[in-house]
Amino acid sequence: MTPFLLLQALVLLGLVVTAVLIISFKDLLAAAIAFAAFSLLLSLEFYLLQAPDVAIAEAGIGAGLTTAIFIIAIRGTQRHEEKN
Amino acid sequence: MKMTKIVRTTADLFFPFCLVFGLYVVVHGHLTPGGGFQGGAVMATGTALLLVARSYDDVTGRIRKGAMKACEAAGLLIFLCAGFSGLFAGRPFMANWLAPDSALFRTAVAHGPNAGDLNTAGLLPLLNFGVGIEVLGGLTVILLYMLSGIKEEKKP
Amino acid sequence: MRHVLFSAILLLFFGGLMYLAADLPFGDPPRTDMDDYFLRNAQAQTGANNVVTSIVFDFRGFDTLGEATVLFTAVLGVGMMFRKLKEGEEYEND
Repeated sequence: MTPFLLLQALVLLGLVVTAVLIISFKDLLAAAIAFAAFSLLLSLEFYLLQAPDVAIAEAGIGAGLTTAIFIIAIRGTQRHEEKN
Repeated sequence: MKMTKIVRTTADLFFPFCLVFGLYVVVHGHLTPGGGFQGGAVMATGTALLLVARSYDDVTGRIRKGAMKACEAAGLLIFLCAGFSGLFAGRPFMANWLAPDSALFRTAVAHGPNAGDLNTAGLLPLLNFGVGIEVLGGLTVILLYMLSGIKEEKKP
Repeated sequence: MRHVLFSAILLLFFGGLMYLAADLPFGDPPRTDMDDYFLRNAQAQTGANNVVTSIVFDFRGFDTLGEATVLFTAVLGVGMMFRKLKEGEEYEND
């Protein structure tokens, strides 16, 4: 197994782990930050697949703007998920 | 939820660098990876950083909603004018009539990998710039509208 | 019990998809006429070193015009949703 494939496997594993973390967090701010980490890993994967244009767009929109919108929404509502 | 002083200072510090990096991506769109949309998104990320760190009343002095709306409209207008300018040159709509030989952005590039020159690519830098400021204005206006919609609770 | 069944069906479904997708050529398409044309002629016809930008803004410039219009319309819609109400105007709650 070449180092390139190993790096790609690590990134994909990190993607799955952060995706599970997003849906398992009860603290919504932590979930938003986990989503930012997911987007950053996704943009790294795009870069590894030699699509730097898509990587820049993903890093800007996914990791930056979407997280900002989520944090603004959390600021307007409440931080923790309700227990029922 | 009020941000701490560390977050506010860091956002203030990073804001101009984000804008400059986004402008670099826009201007070098026809040479390096990236382009109008990506560069505009990076610039909008800079403004989003400031918006997240501060409250709405704090930020309206530095990011004006009217200026951002003007940016957005001007971007689309630049794109359309650049597209229609092909008609006046006797070419079809959106034709890259500046590319081979004219006054501006006209240097021909060699085939294959080369060092690159900003003064190339005809209409593409204009279109890149138009889309860049349109994306910056549009995304910032959406963020400003969303931020103005929520009420900051006054806590003593 | 239902969760186990559901998970098994899901696993089977995506396992089958992965098995089918293993044979697909990825990043190595067999037909490359269009790619070759762009790679050969983009620099000479548009003068841009970045072939992706030359496709997005020149060869497929009409699509980019549509994308810019979509963004403009989206911002218009958000502005209409969040606009300031006039004096004495109320939201209609039907």
